[in-house]
Amino acid sequence: MSIAWVVFRKELRETLRDRRTLMVMVAIPILLYPVLLIATEQFALMGIRRIESEASEVAVTGPASDDLMEFLAADQDLELLDVPYPVEAIRSEIVGAVAVFGPVAEEGGTQRATVLYDAADERSQRARTVLARALRSWDDTLLARRITERGLPPGFADPLAVADSSVARPEELGGYTLGRFLPMLLILMTLLGTFYPAIDLAAGEKERGTLEPLLTTPVPPRQIVVGKFMAVALIGVVAAALNLASMLLTFQTGLFQLGGSLDIEFALPWGSVLLIFGTLIPLAVLFASLFLGIALRSRSFKEAQTALTPVYLLVMVPALLPVFPGIGFTVALAAVPVAGLGIFFRELMAGSPALVPSMVAVATTGLWAWAALAFASASFGREDVLFGVGDAHVETGGGFRERLRRLLGPVSDTPSAAQAIGFVAAVAVLFFYMGFPLQAGWGERGLLLSEWLLLLLPAFLFVGVAGFDFGETFSFRRPEGRKVLGSVLLIAGGMPLGWFLAWAQGFVLPIPWDMLEGLEELITAESASRLLWLLALLALTPAICEEVVFRGVLLAGIRGRASAVRVAAFNGLVFGAFHISFESAFRFLPTAWLGFLLAWAVLATRSIWVGILMHFLNNGSIVLMASVPALRAWLEDGGEAPPWVLLAPALLAVAMGVKLLGGASDDSKMMGDAADSN
Amino acid sequence: MIEFQNLTKTYGPLRAVDGLSLRVERGEVYALLGPNGAGKTTALRCLATLQAPTSGTALVGDADVREQPLVVRARIGFLAASMGLYERLTPVELLEYFGRLHHMEGPALEGRVAELTHMFGITPFASQRCGTLSTGQAQRVSVARALVHDPPALILDEPTMGLDVLSGEVIYRFIEAERDRGKAILFSTHQMAEVELLADRVGVLSGGRLVAEGTPASLIERTGERNLARAFLALVQGDDGSEGEGEDISPEEPA
Repeated sequence: MSIAWVVFRKELRETLRDRRTLMVMVAIPILLYPVLLIATEQFALMGIRRIESEASEVAVTGPASDDLMEFLAADQDLELLDVPYPVEAIRSEIVGAVAVFGPVAEEGGTQRATVLYDAADERSQRARTVLARALRSWDDTLLARRITERGLPPGFADPLAVADSSVARPEELGGYTLGRFLPMLLILMTLLGTFYPAIDLAAGEKERGTLEPLLTTPVPPRQIVVGKFMAVALIGVVAAALNLASMLLTFQTGLFQLGGSLDIEFALPWGSVLLIFGTLIPLAVLFASLFLGIALRSRSFKEAQTALTPVYLLVMVPALLPVFPGIGFTVALAAVPVAGLGIFFRELMAGSPALVPSMVAVATTGLWAWAALAFASASFGREDVLFGVGDAHVETGGGFRERLRRLLGPVSDTPSAAQAIGFVAAVAVLFFYMGFPLQAGWGERGLLLSEWLLLLLPAFLFVGVAGFDFGETFSFRRPEGRKVLGSVLLIAGGMPLGWFLAWAQGFVLPIPWDMLEGLEELITAESASRLLWLLALLALTPAICEEVVFRGVLLAGIRGRASAVRVAAFNGLVFGAFHISFESAFRFLPTAWLGFLLAWAVLATRSIWVGILMHFLNNGSIVLMASVPALRAWLEDGGEAPPWVLLAPALLAVAMGVKLLGGASDDSKMMGDAADSN
Repeated sequence: MIEFQNLTKTYGPLRAVDGLSLRVERGEVYALLGPNGAGKTTALRCLATLQAPTSGTALVGDADVREQPLVVRARIGFLAASMGLYERLTPVELLEYFGRLHHMEGPALEGRVAELTHMFGITPFASQRCGTLSTGQAQRVSVARALVHDPPALILDEPTMGLDVLSGEVIYRFIEAERDRGKAILFSTHQMAEVELLADRVGVLSGGRLVAEGTPASLIERTGERNLARAFLALVQGDDGSEGEGEDISPEEPA
């Protein structure tokens, strides 16, 4: 019998004896949906019926005719009251709506009337609907009278009568409606189905002390992981399948029919149901592996819950994507983890999934799942992950003051990875809540202030207060001349490559032209003094302030945690994420690329000055290009690819830059440094 | 059968085990004594292939923990100090599970499980879930799990911790019986009485280093103390640089 199978059977048996998992996996889908959906519908209908069964209390003020008042009084859905002050009457719920009539019109003219109501009050909304309907009916009556008085044909005022009729069959409408919310629920239920078992089988095993005996059996850790993830994935699939079946059955019983108000049939073809079920498997594998990998890094159930909750929330974002209108099933979106499969489900339920994106969605989900499984397997074999031995020499105990000192005080010359990432996260929050308002209110001065006060100042305060070494943390070292030249070549070649990246990204992400035009106005200088100001504002300021945060504190924290390429890539990703704006994510990739190059150069030279120089050259070049008419003309040629002639020299410059910054010997030095900092 | 060869394990600046060398022969019970943080558990974990030595190595038979971890695992029965059991499995299910992980199956596995449940008095609660067992019952199941594949070497990390006298007695009898069957047994403990009762030889760890080694009687004799507990204190305090009465004692050659 295969070891993975032995582990799988044991984990499944144990999990099925866990009440918490059974609740999530079985009880919720079987009981919750019928009860929740039907109860919700019944309560909603009860409320609607109660409101509809009562006459709405309304009033009329202004010069309304007696005929109209008689007409309204005859309407059984209305109860006319007299109120002196319409607004107060509505606010104090004496009436739901008041029709305020304007001056009486001349013969053949139009008398204006406004219906006042409280949009935040359901009864008032209902009164407004009923009153408006009655007034429209009165309007029709008056129109018919005028037409008759003038001897015109009845259709005179209605030359074109428009009606619409959907060609969708009831089951198609049902599929479309289900497709709007069911994919999200299925994804979330698969997620939830794997959440607790993954924690239990990984962090729970550590917490209970069962991991050590398990790992002293003559079995490769990978087989144990495979067995565990098979169990978690199966539970996730079963949970999702039960959810799917329960929801469909609940709808198909006919009990949930929105009160029979719509001609809609909530049914899916068996083929679609089976296909959805089949594609839930790689999704469950993805979640199972991802959660297992993360849970294994936690020391206890509670710690794993804390670690996984942000992941859970993060996954909800792509899971929500199919719900939004206007989200098409493109190949690019199909490749986005979770979102691609969600949109595929939506299209499948609506009955018209495009073939290529469907294949991409399923295939990429499989690939993501495979990557997550590799991540989980890598975690399982690692000693530091299994025993958290990296913390073995951390001091513990002591009084409150001592603990506080340890919390604030440095444990080394530079911040740890967690401290550095925490600092950048705090700065990002600060920038979001204070920087954007500053820039919106004070324009260029706000931008200047936000960079110096919200980036540079906190960085120096953080290092100073915590007592880290300024020189080590910020890499204040004089670089060698050869490496400075390498850095200049790296950015000279890296910039055009960044343009190519931005151009390629335009095929996937829409380019916000309005925003770019606004940006172009900001960076274009018409005079020499303006040019100098822009260089100070847009090139020098970020070169100093952003470098101090990202290539200073952040890089000091993560340096040596992985290979130089990975560290630089992580640094670039964080830098790119920091530059994502409200309007579009289009800046992410080019900025992340820039961040990668800067981090690489600073790692190779251990000098932040090269980062500042490169950053200044990059931003300064953009300002210069925007301010020189000939270059601006090229920039304004939006949507076109950058000149291909630049590609080869750019690649050459990058290669030469990398060479000058450090060949094999410099690489090994970097890795040596990494080992030292461990 | 069990051999540490100049094994060192560091965590950053901390040397948890520092150049440990010792041997445990077949049919021998070796007790590893040491204060908290002396490196006993780390040394046992390295031997059990749970942690990689920073330098040096350890062998079980001719299998090196670095080179052949799976072979080493097949030859050892490891009892962790945590005594962790799967709470939602019964003792029989647990023993069968670990037996299968040791590639046992069919009648051989069933027979071995029956033998162990009888040997450790597990039968009365064999169908109860492990989460409902008392500490003593759980420890018996835990020991049985370590023995399910009948390994030639046993590594026991504080096997009687938290047990009452009766439950401890079951473990003592088991250790003696396994020694008589020719197994090499290495166990860590704080209990001087059980060392005197069980151990053929003792190694004293302090600050990750083996500061003394010998039979219990020889350690008492060499320190000039009245009993092993006092001898242990003398050895450990002497190693800490504090005032101890011990002479300059270095580990003896293995017997």
